[in-house]
Amino acid sequence: MSAAAIRRIVVVGNGIAGLTAADSLRGAGFDGELTIIGDERHPACSRPALSKALLSDCADLTSHQLPAPTHGALEIAGRRACGLDAERRRVALDDGTELPYDRLVVATGSRARRLSDLAGELTLRGLDDALALRERLAARPSVVVVGGGPLGMEVASGCVAARCQVTVVSQGMPLEMQLGPHLARVFAEAAQGRGVALVQTESARLEEHGGATRVVLEEDIVLEAELVVSAVGDVPNTEWLAGTSLVTDGVVRVDARGLARPDVAAVGDLAVFPTPYGMRRIPLWSTAIAHSKVAAAALVHGEAAPPLQFQPYFWTEQFGLSLKAVGFLPLNGPPVYVDGGPGGPALMRWTHEDGRGAAAALNYRIPIPRLRRITEDAATGARRAA
Amino acid sequence: MKIVLDRARCEGHGLCEEAAPDLMHLDDDGELVIDREEITEAELAAANAAVRVCPVAALRIE
Ligand SMILES: Cc1cc2nc3c(=O)[nH]c(=O)nc-3n(C[C@H](O)[C@H](O)[C@H](O)COP(=O)(O)OP(=O)(O)OC[C@H]3O[C@@H](n4cnc5c(N)ncnc54)[C@H](O)[C@@H]3O)c2cc1C
Ligand code: SF4
Repeated sequence: MSAAAIRRIVVVGNGIAGLTAADSLRGAGFDGELTIIGDERHPACSRPALSKALLSDCADLTSHQLPAPTHGALEIAGRRACGLDAERRRVALDDGTELPYDRLVVATGSRARRLSDLAGELTLRGLDDALALRERLAARPSVVVVGGGPLGMEVASGCVAARCQVTVVSQGMPLEMQLGPHLARVFAEAAQGRGVALVQTESARLEEHGGATRVVLEEDIVLEAELVVSAVGDVPNTEWLAGTSLVTDGVVRVDARGLARPDVAAVGDLAVFPTPYGMRRIPLWSTAIAHSKVAAAALVHGEAAPPLQFQPYFWTEQFGLSLKAVGFLPLNGPPVYVDGGPGGPALMRWTHEDGRGAAAALNYRIPIPRLRRITEDAATGARRAA
Repeated sequence: MKIVLDRARCEGHGLCEEAAPDLMHLDDDGELVIDREEITEAELAAANAAVRVCPVAALRIE
């Protein structure tokens, strides 16, 4: 089918990936019928803000709001896609209707992974979760956060800001898996400096005891708290694709243009795509955006559209530290200081074994394009040294 | 049409600059400078991309 014959495009999932895909489809020249289906009641919001400004600020309840969309699509909100017939090109909705398409964007993101089905286990993924958590924190409960990744640590930081007593339970040092040992140590010290107790464990589980939820560590040591929040990763929302050849092991694998097949793109948190370090899922804000732009162009223009040139961008804010990092994480070994020194403010760079550079700014205001250039310096510097 | 920045919200990520380098940039102090407030129809797509990428919705088009 030529681009002109594409009349109908359906986008399933109304998060930042779906939204950007819809905008980008228009940008790529698609002026046919565009439909977006999303199962949330709220308009798409900035999830990164939910665990940062929204948890810590006392006043600003708007930090997560995104500008209104400009794609002019038909938006079907509060409806869930529950099946796909990829051969007949139809999406089935939970109200029994079927939507035909010429091209499909799969952008249903992921949800919080849970450790139990206890009501006492709180997770943070959507706006309702953030508002509920914020309200609970206002009463200053004691909190155990299970999970020492960026989300768990941001939640812990929000707890500290709300003046709660907080313990973080993590496998190994918090953030070490994500950021590498050097940066992880900086964050762990900042957290401890603000009174956070860090507990390392192999595997924690949750149980209900006397009407409260508590955390059981490996040697049957029990942590009790008034509030238990888990932040232990995410699960891609791909169940609705069951029975199609699009899903393997719960994720959708795509090519360098974000396509799972010529007429189906998959973007954002549920997609596994080629990176220099193999096929990976990199569930980050800017991944979702970069991906969606490339995939939208590929849906309309096919092979003529350029493949993804991708370098991850990650940021976090917690315990008075603000980090921006460009390049593939984690970062191993000590950094080279481009500016500043240990603990920050600092501008640092690393060189991966394959010569690829990465750079991080800690409490250091720098535009991302400049941070990207520093990763290039790291790479050429390494080549020169070799 | 005009690009409007809510300076209090801006966190200086500069993702907007990446999306629309002709319209805005971050200065040496990491403050966002809108180089072209009044935009033309032809620049709207780039401006929209910049607005969309900002994780704190500090930009809008009026
Ligand atoms: C609290 C939090 C903080 C974060 N902080 C950062 C950060 O600081 N930096 C960073 O880079 N990234 C961060 N992330 C990750 C980032 O927000 C995600 O990578 C990004 O939002 C992914 O977008 P998405 O559109 O792929 O998925 P989602 O945002 O999950 O959107 C998918 C949408 O599809 C809907 N949906 C699901 N199934 C169906 C269905 N069957 N039918 C219809 N609709 C469906 C969902 O309800 C949802 O609205 C954070 C995430 C969270 C949760
Ligand atoms: S992306 Fe948003 S927060 Fe970042 S510099 Fe641009 S306007 Fe400011």
